[in-house]
Amino acid sequence: MFSLFYGLWKFVFTKDEFHVLILGVDKAGKTTLLEKLKSIYLKGEGLPPDRVVPTVGLNIGRIEDANAKLVFWDLGGQVGLRTIWEKYYEEAHAIMYVIDAATASSFEDAKSALEKVICHEHLRGAPLLIVANKQDLPGVINDEELSEFLNLKELDERPYMFQAVSAYDGRGIKSGIDWLVEQIEKCKRTETLRARAGVAGKI
Amino acid sequence: MGIVFTRLFSSLFGNREARILVLGLDNAGKTTILYRLQMGEVVSTIPTIGFNVETVQYNNIKFQVWDLGGQTSIRPYWRCYFPNTQAIIYVVDSSDTDRLVTAKEEFHAILEEDELKGAVVLVYANKQDLPGALDDAAITESLELHKIKSRQWAIFKTSAIKGEGLFEGLDWLSNTLKSGSS
Repeated sequence: MFSLFYGLWKFVFTKDEFHVLILGVDKAGKTTLLEKLKSIYLKGEGLPPDRVVPTVGLNIGRIEDANAKLVFWDLGGQVGLRTIWEKYYEEAHAIMYVIDAATASSFEDAKSALEKVICHEHLRGAPLLIVANKQDLPGVINDEELSEFLNLKELDERPYMFQAVSAYDGRGIKSGIDWLVEQIEKCKRTETLRARAGVAGKI
Repeated sequence: MGIVFTRLFSSLFGNREARILVLGLDNAGKTTILYRLQMGEVVSTIPTIGFNVETVQYNNIKFQVWDLGGQTSIRPYWRCYFPNTQAIIYVVDSSDTDRLVTAKEEFHAILEEDELKGAVVLVYANKQDLPGALDDAAITESLELHKIKSRQWAIFKTSAIKGEGLFEGLDWLSNTLKSGSS
């Protein structure tokens, strides 16, 4: 009897846990964004931007939204480290791709790395939020301009959105996350991942 | 009562303490790293049988660093030191390509330990001063660091002899332990 109620309780109140990959070339602001996410959703925690050092490995952030638990995997973006990105693809529910929208010289590199991400079969159907970061800086371009500039093809098979964000002051982050959670919840890929996890759980 | 005040005092003004284990195969350079961090110089070392422990103060964190002997026969004793560990520094001899597989196996065996579930992982790809040393990307690959998905990790190219990369690693460690999200 107890287990029945417990099961019901769990069914009603347990939130799904989703994995979100934060990718982008080095100096795009991925870790600063992650720390800002932590300080917004966890109230107070999170490193100030001037303490952030280049990531050579994996940073993890866990936050809880009204409907879901999100685990962020922030991976280093230097050229030599990008080979590990794909090792995390299979278990990722969604991607945040961060671009330094204030540094035009980084766009080509950002674009070609993003194209590789999009084409990877292990990420098929994963919702993609493209973050036009550093909106606090002068000379920055906004989400629409970035979208025009990147002119990406092959995006059509997945839900995607461009979002203007400042990881420094936090603007744009909440609406980006809201969109991501909404997309993850209705996305076919999530069902597939859940089914696979369920099977693995039983074994 | 005294204890309460001490705690309060140290939480307000004090340095935090973190317990850190330095692990790795024998001859990886663990002891040299420990004393390089602590005294800033290169000491001549002999193979460690047992352990060395020193306190290293850096970025307002007191690191209590345990350097455990790495020889095959004494690796089983590592686990005696696992409880209450916040971080592991795993040292690899990047020029010893023959033993990278062993280094990988030991590494993943450590990560499976329950008592180390919450510990963050810092890898030193050491001995970068030697010819033929693999770089950080190659060590990442051979240690299969990507299999780590539920804790934070980082890798740094180091040379304990030249003193390069060690404090960059500690910077990462102190940031990570402070932001406390793992």
